[in-house]
Amino acid sequence: MARSLKKGPYIDYRLDNKVVAMNESGKKSVIKTWSRRSMISPDFVGHTFAVHNGNKFIPVYVTENMVGHKLGEFAPTRNFRGHIAKKDKGKR
Amino acid sequence: MTKNECYELGRITKTHGIKGEVNIWLDVDFPDEYEDLESVFVDIKGELVPYFVQKILIRPNQTIVQFEDVDTFEKAEALLGASLYLPLDVLPDLEKDQFYYHEIVGFQVVDKKLGVLGTVNTVYSMQVQDLVSMDYQSKEVLIPVSDSIVLSADKAQKILNVDLPDGLIDVYLSE
Repeated sequence: MARSLKKGPYIDYRLDNKVVAMNESGKKSVIKTWSRRSMISPDFVGHTFAVHNGNKFIPVYVTENMVGHKLGEFAPTRNFRGHIAKKDKGKR
Repeated sequence: MTKNECYELGRITKTHGIKGEVNIWLDVDFPDEYEDLESVFVDIKGELVPYFVQKILIRPNQTIVQFEDVDTFEKAEALLGASLYLPLDVLPDLEKDQFYYHEIVGFQVVDKKLGVLGTVNTVYSMQVQDLVSMDYQSKEVLIPVSDSIVLSADKAQKILNVDLPDGLIDVYLSE
């Protein structure tokens, strides 16, 4: 069942406080978090989060199209070791 | 032709029909660029064997290929799971500020504020955001590939210019 709309999205309050403080100060440093269940709010855009995947921290640079997803979606806990040493993929 | 002279184009995922056609997964940014594919190297037990493409049909979620001399289900089934390779020199040229991931392996990472850091080990392909793996003080540091973080690659001097967010290195050094 989906979360009740009346409650609003779940965001860990400590994480939210850190983002709000950074937005107010204009600083943008990496925020370490274990709160994979927190939803990405529009305030998070442009910040980099180090999201724990149970083993290590995976850096996630939040962009606009990630809003509404959970942080944990971008730090996979399995099948991380997928080498793409020589593939036709690049920065475009 | 060895694997060092090639890049991995994709993989044969399953058979299609009973006339030897196969489904392939193209691990590329723009599959449509391979509409005129004439031949491809198939990795069979570690050796690259050339196969000529008789017919290729690129659809949004799947690509169906018929190879020459592969005209039965049994012959197609024998190729299942094999990786496909193409020579590096057929890669389309990119613009000046663009690069392929395999090109930056071994590049020195230079940060705007911190200066020279380490070398690029590999690049991990993730679903949404790719990650550059850098060797720094014998630890693996991951850098998200984003226009505001990975700024440019100087191919002549083998330098990857980045602007790391404050505290990213500390996350890995304190682990």
